[in-house]
Amino acid sequence: MPSYLAKVVLFCLSRLNGERSLAAIYHLLNGKKSAQTLQDSKWYHLDFLFGTLAVQKSEILHIANRLEHERLIERIDNDTYKVTEKGEAALAQFSFPAYLNGLRYVNETEAFWRRLSLLVQTISNLVHETTFEPIQRDEETLLFVKRWLLSRRNAAALAQSLYEELHRLLSRLDEKEANVFVWRLTSYERIGLTNEQVALVLQEDPAYTQLLFQHVLHFFLKTTEKESHRFPLLFSLRADLYETIPLTSSTKKTYELLQQGRTLDEIARIRRLKRSTIEDHIVEIAANIPHFSIAPFLSEEKRQQIMRVAEKLRTKKLRMIKEALEDVSYFQIRLALAKRGDGDGDR
Amino acid sequence: MEIVSVLKEKFGYDSFRTGQREIIEDVLNGFDCVAMLPTGGGKSLCYQLPGYVLEGSVLIISPLVSLMEDQVQQLRNFGEKRVIALNSFLPHAEKQEVLRRLAHYRFIYASPEILQSPSLLSALQTVPISLFVVDEAHCISQWGHDFRPDFLKLGRLRKQLGSPPCLALTATATREVIDDIVATLELTNVKKHLYSIDRPNIALCVEHVATLEEKIERLIHIVDAVKKPGIVYVSSRQWAEKLAECLRERGHRTAFYHGGMEAEQRLLIQQQFVYDQLDVICCTNAFGMGVNKPNVRFVIHFHLPAQPEAYWQEVGRAGRDGKESIAILLYAPGDEQIAKTMIEAEFPSLEQIVYAIQSIKHGNEHIGLTEVQERLIFYWLEQIEEADSIEAIAKQMHAHVEKRRRMKEAKLSFMLRWMMEERCRRQALLAYFHESLPHRHERCCDRCSLELAVYEEKNERMSSIPLKAWQEELRRMFLAKVGKR
Repeated sequence: MPSYLAKVVLFCLSRLNGERSLAAIYHLLNGKKSAQTLQDSKWYHLDFLFGTLAVQKSEILHIANRLEHERLIERIDNDTYKVTEKGEAALAQFSFPAYLNGLRYVNETEAFWRRLSLLVQTISNLVHETTFEPIQRDEETLLFVKRWLLSRRNAAALAQSLYEELHRLLSRLDEKEANVFVWRLTSYERIGLTNEQVALVLQEDPAYTQLLFQHVLHFFLKTTEKESHRFPLLFSLRADLYETIPLTSSTKKTYELLQQGRTLDEIARIRRLKRSTIEDHIVEIAANIPHFSIAPFLSEEKRQQIMRVAEKLRTKKLRMIKEALEDVSYFQIRLALAKRGDGDGDR
Repeated sequence: MEIVSVLKEKFGYDSFRTGQREIIEDVLNGFDCVAMLPTGGGKSLCYQLPGYVLEGSVLIISPLVSLMEDQVQQLRNFGEKRVIALNSFLPHAEKQEVLRRLAHYRFIYASPEILQSPSLLSALQTVPISLFVVDEAHCISQWGHDFRPDFLKLGRLRKQLGSPPCLALTATATREVIDDIVATLELTNVKKHLYSIDRPNIALCVEHVATLEEKIERLIHIVDAVKKPGIVYVSSRQWAEKLAECLRERGHRTAFYHGGMEAEQRLLIQQQFVYDQLDVICCTNAFGMGVNKPNVRFVIHFHLPAQPEAYWQEVGRAGRDGKESIAILLYAPGDEQIAKTMIEAEFPSLEQIVYAIQSIKHGNEHIGLTEVQERLIFYWLEQIEEADSIEAIAKQMHAHVEKRRRMKEAKLSFMLRWMMEERCRRQALLAYFHESLPHRHERCCDRCSLELAVYEEKNERMSSIPLKAWQEELRRMFLAKVGKR
């Protein structure tokens, strides 16, 4: 029986369809904000797993070896694998926590947790009139919570409201999910548990409890946004974190120049970057910004050609598509696929 | 103000510990000082108190971010608000704000790396620095156990800041290292306060076992029996995890701690230990610096430490409250091989050095070395005059490497000799630090007189509050109990 993490890897391999190497999974789970990883996560509908698990490269290699040994996957190239029928069967009952949405909340999850955990610790100690050492130490979080508290008064009333908001929110989850979150909190009289310790108490796989924890945070982020009036305190902890466009910072600069009407070559010259780098940026923009038009780089006719070939060959492998078509560049194929990868990910 | 009243008012202490008053008086009189005090001997107070007497800011240079954070937190616990740690994690806007108001801070902590930043340096040059403190100053010396090349630039830095008086602090330094500190920081008019680094309340013990299995059994047996809390030091992350699991299966409240964990998890474990939610930490040498836990009752070394300095620092984490504590080193034949291998891995070969220099010259990022090796190579490249060939430069560097390797090997062979020592272990160890032992302690070491029973524990320890389901936990957190406790 493969471990939970092994099943996650197996699931990713299944989605990747033998078209990406193990490194893609490593970067996906660790949330590497490169154009390639961001695109891949969308193309293969793995964006909900983006940045949700900190794993080592060696761990993934080890898992792949085990999976191959158990004939759940087979090697098709150096470190590229395809899931066997037996492997697909093993995934039949496998599912992920429902609210997991890594890429969508990638810029918010960590900061939101840090602020919330420090706030809970602070307020809990204020009500009990005890001193404490902050469990979060980065100055940004410390400053945020300090200012947040300074702008509000009456610790007892705050405690009551925060308690009610958390209770209302957690009541919508099941027992285990709520425990996974609450046990990690540090408060008066108790330092919070680590993920490993929570897993031990629940007798669950640590990778599973980690995903469950992320799922709870994503549920918090989603719900407090939708119903901000019902969760004013929790919403205020994340109101400034929301970023509408999840682009890497270099891509953002390219996007700004594009919006000023610069051509691709002009941008390359201004930014002193290679043309191919700017092309990477444009693919990233196409994958992430729904209203971004790729028409200036690719005619509608050609786009449809590419999509037809991709569907006929049932592949996202660029080389295979390029060989089947005349007169299209890799850049254009990537653009077409990036646009398609858009939309809601199905699980 | 009289310094005793500052001590009482700001820190809540009634009296100084050994050496503190003498050091503080010399600091206040503007002398450069080198101070060696035992671990847990209250080194930080030697610059913290002057911070309240002298005009201007105290700049403290510290080698570890986590150590800095611990000390900043400690000062904040004393009610000090004008304290800041400058590190690369500060967001840009906040950093600008901090730099603009730098003179407002009474205590400024910084790492030697961040002090390389020109904007920070020019900000610091506008601040009247009353005292220039180098914490863990043995990091300056190539002959120290924990050499950090960036510390070598501190001499020049001090000049750029108008040569304020300097206080260099360490807990473990041989005389050569002390001389190095004085020379590198260009201390003049220097007062040396070198106090005994002995810790009379910690008994020393070495146990020989025949095999690894026997060692694990012995460890479990000791942990079962002795007074807790305690620390078990191991040489690798895998061992920290493995032993924590063994001890947990025996029903101990234990966790592992090593550098491979995320910062948040590390802090949680550290705090659980400090607040008595854990009894035993199984860890690598990443754990301990800056951890202020007075009641640690034992330190066990599961693997042979490669250097007496490191051993002594780790042992020193026991018994800060002055109560009876014990340090036990477990040795199985072949253990020295682990230490030897680690020394081997630390130093690059001549071929690696040549390759690294070529890579640097070609502007490559990957030079095929570990981080520590990389720092050393860059340091040497700055030191060595432009020679005619890469080979010649590499040879010079390699000579340095060999010198340091021999030094490390000598330290390891001291540890091996010390383990086999027939006479008093404490005396032998203190002799390494050029210290003598004027009179025997009642409980000294396994060569003098030692009864392990003294350190055993009969009663069940109090356990922490049990973990409840989330509804109850949430109530406990936010809703004050009816009636004050």
